[in-house]
Amino acid sequence: MSTAKVHRKREIFAEGAITPEFIASSIAGHATRTDIGAHAIFLGQVRADTIGGRTVRALEYTAYREMAEEAMVAIREEAFTRWPQLTCLHVHHSLGRVNAGAICFFVFASAAHRQQAREAVAFVTDEVKARLPIFGKEVLSDATHAWKKNT
Amino acid sequence: MRVMLFGVVAEIVGDSALVIDSASTFALRGALNERFPDLQELTWSIAVDRRIEHGDRVLTGSEEIAVLPPFAGG
Repeated sequence: MSTAKVHRKREIFAEGAITPEFIASSIAGHATRTDIGAHAIFLGQVRADTIGGRTVRALEYTAYREMAEEAMVAIREEAFTRWPQLTCLHVHHSLGRVNAGAICFFVFASAAHRQQAREAVAFVTDEVKARLPIFGKEVLSDATHAWKKNT
Repeated sequence: MRVMLFGVVAEIVGDSALVIDSASTFALRGALNERFPDLQELTWSIAVDRRIEHGDRVLTGSEEIAVLPPFAGG
């Protein structure tokens, strides 16, 4: 059962910011899964960094979607192998413009117990940032731009 | 062969893809650096069939090629 789940390709990208309503409904959607005892969530928010006296107003995300989706399948398989008691794993990332202060990245792991959910969410968050070909143009307060780079 | 371009690389080239023939990934890197000198100032990698290729790989022209600047997801 879990094998079919692991190999299924899921849509991770959506246009614009991830809304609090979407996050709330994702949580509500798990109410019927009474084998779950713990959810762990990571939310990435666009930070208004200052670059040379200019402030980041928004990020404009683009991605090499086909490669990102394949990398996500691999990360998902690794997570379910390392934490076999993981029940659910959902990853959502914005494309297009996301203003400073809005949510652009949502990782949601569920398991019977808290440790697996916590560890899996930390692992998946880091791996997505390192391995998915997503690019971020920083729109600055003076209408110029820079390019974000993960460290 | 068609080469897909992303992020700051697409901005420098002025397009989201270009057609350029190269016999290997190292040859492609050299050709791009020569044609677009601003690329020499940047870190970028070449993905072949959706995987980053670190070595010098022979290209037959049937592969899916992409030039990728540093990732910025999250």
